[in-house]
Amino acid sequence: MTIPEDFKTRLKIAKSKIEKQVQSDKEKRGTFMGSAFKLGTELVAAVAVGTIFGFILDSWFGTKPWLIIIFFFLGAAAGMLNVIRTANRMQKED
Amino acid sequence: MASNPMQQFSVHKIGPEIKIAGIDLSFTNASLFMVISASFILLFLFLGTREKKIIPDKVQLIAEMFYTFVAKMISDTAGSKAKPYFPFIFSLFMFVLFCNMVGMLPYSFTVTSHIIVTLIMALFIFIAVTIIGFAKHGFKYLSIFVPSGVPAILLPLITVIEIISYLSRPVSLSVRLFANMMAGHTMLKVFGGFVISLGLLGGWLPLSFSVALTGLEILVAFLQAYVFAILTCIYLNDALNLHH
Repeated sequence: MTIPEDFKTRLKIAKSKIEKQVQSDKEKRGTFMGSAFKLGTELVAAVAVGTIFGFILDSWFGTKPWLIIIFFFLGAAAGMLNVIRTANRMQKED
Repeated sequence: MASNPMQQFSVHKIGPEIKIAGIDLSFTNASLFMVISASFILLFLFLGTREKKIIPDKVQLIAEMFYTFVAKMISDTAGSKAKPYFPFIFSLFMFVLFCNMVGMLPYSFTVTSHIIVTLIMALFIFIAVTIIGFAKHGFKYLSIFVPSGVPAILLPLITVIEIISYLSRPVSLSVRLFANMMAGHTMLKVFGGFVISLGLLGGWLPLSFSVALTGLEILVAFLQAYVFAILTCIYLNDALNLHH
């Protein structure tokens, strides 16, 4: 069975389209890595700041383990808030 | 040959030790590369604006591209009210970009791979934005910590979370730039070390990785300068246009 000429050209066009898609995906990967890193630092920074905040308040008031525990979780919540805001902003940009 | 991949980040003094009021102000290789980056920027912008032709030559075209790029970034993210801050954001963007790019040259030192440098820049932005916010809105600026439409019982909790989120801005801003630059340069050195230790036989694979990583690092250098500047614009926008 021979493949008609018309089908061959159509296959060629489709293949080149896919190739182009892959090419642009590769170019985008660097940008994706950047945004992934952005979200990661947002989360970690807020947790770190919350914990340090709790540690300082603990040594002020002498309530040793309690405030650091509370502020760790508050920091985690703030981190999630940061991530949601950044993600919303990214979606708006696209 | 330096085999330790972290050795590229060591700071050492150049010239005599200078101490003023107990603070060590000696000229180091970090200061040297900051001066080099700053003079590259000055030279580039001087050449770009020397002859203001209607049909620009290459240098003028690139300088104008940077100008419109930053101007567009500011007007897109922070609106027309942020126009007076253009010189600051332009300098910031150019400085971070050129420090990153100068760091990509062999045998050079990457200033932005040190947390103290990026943290000082981020803290400066953070404090400046806070002052601008209070100067523009007075005590109404504190309303960014109190989102609207929150039940009264949850309000203290949300306010504390918002304050932590606000305070985490300089940390995430500085850690992002520093970690990206340091990780990238360490990776380059590690793969470079593999090329030497695997020799002529097996060294080709890490060498090709190294080439690809160099390209990626140049992209990251530009991207991180862009992210640093655009986040400054976003923070400025929060301070200038209160809408909560």
